[in-house]
Amino acid sequence: MSSPEEPTLQETGRKRGPWRPELGLALVVLGLGVFVVVGTLDVSAAASRLGPGPRFFPMLVGGAMILIGLFYVADVLRGGRGDPEESEDVDAEAPADWRGVGLVSGVFLAFTAVLDVLGWIIAASLLFFGLSLALGAEHRVRAAVIAVVLAVSTYLTFVEGLGVTLPAGLLSGVI
Amino acid sequence: MESLGLLLDGFAAALTPVNLLYALVGVTLGTLVGVLPGIGPAMTVALLLPITFTVPPASAFIMFAGIYYGGMYGGSTTSILLNTPGESSSMITALEGNKMARRGRAAQALATAAIGSFVAGTIATALLVFAAPAVVSFAISFGPEDYFALAILAFTAVSSVLSRSVVRGLASLVLGLAIGLVGIDQQTGQARLTLGVPQLLDGIDVVIVAVGLFAVGEALYVASRLRHAPPDVVPVGRAWMGRSDWGRSWRPWLRGTALGFPFGALPGGGAEIPTFLSYAAEKRLARGVAREEYGKGAIEGVAGPEAANNASAAGTLVPLLTLGLPTSATAAIMLAAFQQYGLQPGPQLFDHNPALVWAMIASLFIGNTMLLVLNLPLAPVWAKLLRIPRPYLYSGIILFAALGVYALNASAVDLVVLFVLGLLGFAMRRFGLPVAPAVIGMILGPMAEIQLRRALAIGAGDVTVLVGSPVAVVLLVLSLLALLTPLLRGFMARRRMPPLPVSHED
Repeated sequence: MSSPEEPTLQETGRKRGPWRPELGLALVVLGLGVFVVVGTLDVSAAASRLGPGPRFFPMLVGGAMILIGLFYVADVLRGGRGDPEESEDVDAEAPADWRGVGLVSGVFLAFTAVLDVLGWIIAASLLFFGLSLALGAEHRVRAAVIAVVLAVSTYLTFVEGLGVTLPAGLLSGVI
Repeated sequence: MESLGLLLDGFAAALTPVNLLYALVGVTLGTLVGVLPGIGPAMTVALLLPITFTVPPASAFIMFAGIYYGGMYGGSTTSILLNTPGESSSMITALEGNKMARRGRAAQALATAAIGSFVAGTIATALLVFAAPAVVSFAISFGPEDYFALAILAFTAVSSVLSRSVVRGLASLVLGLAIGLVGIDQQTGQARLTLGVPQLLDGIDVVIVAVGLFAVGEALYVASRLRHAPPDVVPVGRAWMGRSDWGRSWRPWLRGTALGFPFGALPGGGAEIPTFLSYAAEKRLARGVAREEYGKGAIEGVAGPEAANNASAAGTLVPLLTLGLPTSATAAIMLAAFQQYGLQPGPQLFDHNPALVWAMIASLFIGNTMLLVLNLPLAPVWAKLLRIPRPYLYSGIILFAALGVYALNASAVDLVVLFVLGLLGFAMRRFGLPVAPAVIGMILGPMAEIQLRRALAIGAGDVTVLVGSPVAVVLLVLSLLALLTPLLRGFMARRRMPPLPVSHED
């Protein structure tokens, strides 16, 4: 695996160091494999009279993960790449918009933090409003109206109609 | 025929007003999510799991069957009118279908897709009626080692077929297997890989995994490279077709069905290969006008692949119902739905719950007919859905994802797990890892473990019990072939081409 990129550099004309973003995912697979094996070691191996105990299968999976992770890392280092998934709304040539991803993530995590306090209607309205702005909605007022309508109607349908539990939060006395 | 009698009973159960309503809700929802980009039938069934828990199982499965078939219909509308399809199974339909639409024949393209789907779905469901009891009578003698081998075959076939790169398919599979390990071991009650988080003792719910990988992953992926131009949808009226279109369509429908059903029934078969084969076959068989039109919008190139697509959907139900073996992401979620009701698909299901199984199969016929009625006149309505501005569409998808996941346990921890899985789904999409192997690995992994431990316990530690039956040996050899075939193909291709001619040119 040492400096495998030398002969292929001219192939694409682009400069490629040994670090490529996909290597991160490959290392996650490898790392999770190690985690599965190590995390299984402290499971007590009792009840082995019934054949293989609770450690057996995780060890197999962890071992397979490490093996596949190594192959994956090697493949990425040798310049292999998968085809990014095609989709209706994805412009495969566009450069990655990390600001958009960051905003969407931030809005979602903020939603999980405030959901129990503010209740579904307020939190979900903010979630929809924030996300649609992060994704480039142009009419703020329209986005806000749709957000409130969606949040209220889902609350009424699912809580009153289908008996699903959603937090009422601040509005608990009102609705 | 015994199965015909049972099927009639199934019709009696499915034709009650309540169940007809569930079927209608199912096909409508299925078409809706099939048309809309960003969500598919797998995620829809997953989101409905917690809500349908209060519904009797037969009604729930009638609805799921409707969603499953409806999703197939909806996908064809998107690929014909918008060109860039999301589901790989309708990719081929877009080739000729969108060109037809651009030449002003959108109505005919939609009609041949809808009627072809109906014909193929009906024939293939009839084939399911006869194939299922045959597979059951064969599988009734399967031991744990056979089921383990079957799971291995599903794992390897799905991983190697769905991706051009085997190592990426397998990486997706092991990620799913690892997720499936989290929680309490069913046989000994030991907690595994829970990191001491009490909410993880019950394992990570399939709803969270499916919704995270599919919906949140897709939304993040779209956020990273959103196409800012408004979608270019071909306008269309009511779907219809004339006499010459019928004459050109019926043979491709039948050929597509013949290709689609068997491929759908194979582990790892899926819809991609038969739709492509049907497209290629129709191209080769084209004569006269069709030959001239091929590549510019020939109706044969829509009729055949769409029929193959729907027939393969029915084929997928054969291994799911008779062996408990899911071969697509949607089938894997339906398997999880069976388990939530305490049912285990497999030969015993036909013995213990014949009423449920046959009501579900009968509802496939009913749903198929409803879809035809729904799709021909309503094509303009579905086309309008394609114009929903994308910021609102994906915000709405995430809102419903959060709703469905929170409804499971009313726990914010689940929402954080959902987000982490969404990041994983995003990375998988960006680097071309197929998502289906992860979902299948997560759901089938625990069952593979049980069968493996059972087989080894019977063999008292002797590993050779795993190859003790001829069925298991054949299945394991097939698994090995599924893994090695792409490697061999790549090796052959590399030998035929001189190694990297580019290095001297510049």
